[in-house]
Amino acid sequence: MAITILAPAPAANPYPASEYSDEDSEDGGADLERDIDMRPSKRAKRSAKDIVTPGETVTDDPQWMRGHGTYIAPASTEIVATVAGTIQKTNKLLSVRPLRARYTPEIGDLVVGRIVEVQSKRWRVDVGAPVLAGLPLSAINLPGGILRKRTETDELQIRTFFSEGDLLVAEVQSLHQDGTAGLHTRSLKYGKLRNGVFMSVTGTGGGGGVIRARRQVWTMDTEHGGGKVDVILGVNGYIWISKHIEVTTAETAITRMEESVSATVYSSQNDEIAPETRREISRIRGVITLLVQKGLRVDEEMVMRGYSTAIEVDDREPGESNEYLGGDRGKSVLNLLGGR
Amino acid sequence: MAPSSALQQVLLSPAELSYLHTSLASTPPIRPDGRTSRQFRPLIAESNILPGTNGSARICFDDGTEAIVGAKAEVEKSRPVFAAREEEGEGEEMAEGQGEGGERGRNEWVDISVEIPGMRDDDSMPVFLSALLSEALLADGGFTRKLWINRRFHWKLYIDILLLSQPLSYPLPLLSLTTHLALLATRLPRLKSEKDEDPMFDDDWEASVFLFPQSQTAKPPATLLVMAVSSNIIFDPSKEELAVAEVVLAVSISSSPSSFTPESEMDVGERKGGSLKLLAVRTIDPPSRLTHPGVPNVVNTATGGTATDNMEMAMAREEGVWKSPRGGAKRKLIAEMIRKVLEKGGVGEEVLDGLEAVGLE
Repeated sequence: MAITILAPAPAANPYPASEYSDEDSEDGGADLERDIDMRPSKRAKRSAKDIVTPGETVTDDPQWMRGHGTYIAPASTEIVATVAGTIQKTNKLLSVRPLRARYTPEIGDLVVGRIVEVQSKRWRVDVGAPVLAGLPLSAINLPGGILRKRTETDELQIRTFFSEGDLLVAEVQSLHQDGTAGLHTRSLKYGKLRNGVFMSVTGTGGGGGVIRARRQVWTMDTEHGGGKVDVILGVNGYIWISKHIEVTTAETAITRMEESVSATVYSSQNDEIAPETRREISRIRGVITLLVQKGLRVDEEMVMRGYSTAIEVDDREPGESNEYLGGDRGKSVLNLLGGR
Repeated sequence: MAPSSALQQVLLSPAELSYLHTSLASTPPIRPDGRTSRQFRPLIAESNILPGTNGSARICFDDGTEAIVGAKAEVEKSRPVFAAREEEGEGEEMAEGQGEGGERGRNEWVDISVEIPGMRDDDSMPVFLSALLSEALLADGGFTRKLWINRRFHWKLYIDILLLSQPLSYPLPLLSLTTHLALLATRLPRLKSEKDEDPMFDDDWEASVFLFPQSQTAKPPATLLVMAVSSNIIFDPSKEELAVAEVVLAVSISSSPSSFTPESEMDVGERKGGSLKLLAVRTIDPPSRLTHPGVPNVVNTATGGTATDNMEMAMAREEGVWKSPRGGAKRKLIAEMIRKVLEKGGVGEEVLDGLEAVGLE
């Protein structure tokens, strides 16, 4: 069947069945679900599981302090939510954690970005943040690892390094007052991306999506003759999955590491990629899509587990191997993932 | 050919474009989401969602794009027919052919409006989409004939198409399928008056009649987006796939009464056996033509190459470099694409059957 048409499912109940809220309204019930803090009768109207929408009054009790995602209108004590999200309380601080948010850059984050604008001395990079990030010409490695001041010649041929649409992996080096991030690619790990596919999921801030983890970049062995595949999870939710290219590390002294910046850092030509590898890349992409759809976190552990489960499900089914992970196959993968 | 601005440009790097193109051109094609070439993304559909309309539907695609369509009918006085005699003559001819005397529709009896968030209603995309959708609907005149009440009155049908989400991928198939579903669910009050009297209707909604009764084979049209990369034909392309397409066709089909065989049918082989009829085909300018080509390593100064004047020569030799497609589509390929939609047990039939099942629920 070429087409699958599903009936709309009713929205999930945001209030899990329990008498929790009933108890809440009565004074004097023992509160078992939350840490017992000696709350007087006065408390915020909502329980922590509630979802508030922008403009909704969270509480009018003046004892609460407003935190992120809230607002107090002048000459009133009402705390009003400014984002859609769940209420979070820290002692007397009331904040709203957004359900979905754009990426907020932090220094040291590994991000995947796309060049959207080329200026004379820098690139403007889309990293999924509210504003574009900047990548100065002085913050990239020159081909061949030459260390020198950037000259006008470099400025003139700025498009030979990165031009509009190019993808790159970089690190956030600095943050400016207006929220723009400064990036750098001065490491052998960073630079232009090729030999793979890009996908964008929700980044840090929402429920699922990519989280800051110990390892954002790793190489995995794939089944079905796919060989090695690199996965780069940008903290901003941009993901790059590509064929692993062995870097020929001819004896270079540690002091001359820059020289081994291979000649192909700024190449936009793909190497030869076998169909098997392409299939496995598609499969990994499907696994990550599945994780995001279910609101699960996306990190190395989950992707690896998801991938091996997907392989298992695929092998179990008769017929030719198929990397599609939608519908029933996706469900069985998720069931197996949850079961473990 | 559709204006290229009707298709949104997605910014992709030459390396990505080359990867996608090579993947889709291999046999069998490897799609980035692992689907087979004729597999659609799963979609969520329901009909009769708006109480104030004669028929409505909602479809939600897997990528989060969502559309609502409502059809609303009004009784309107027909414009007097000036060439009355000639008209009558034609009417009689028709009466012989169809068995329904003198019923002839006019294209202005159907009003389609498309609204896409973030776009003005005179932008090229909504204008083009509504033209394309009405073209399919009005193609054979069978649809407007259904709106005929009597010599003096007719139904005027307003079809409001609203895209709820951002147009993440080319929204034509979504809007067309939703319109199809809404028209399948559209009901008109039953006529009580006779002949050329002022129309009187049964006010019992239960007694209303479907615009497209299930007993009849005639169904509203559906437009499918089909693309081709080298010789691979791919259905329901996603945004990234469209970005490397060489040919993009919008094929409008509807199921035809078995006796109906239009003479204008092109010579596409086995179609005569199938129960589908081709209403319209439009080529859409693929956005891949506007992309920048990749630079091969040998002429890239940043990768140790030397710049040459003869870019073409260097491009031709290198594998894995993105080249934007040039030239038109092969006629054989276009015929093959249409055949794949129309063939018996093909994609078109499955889509129409699937949508009909939604209406029955």
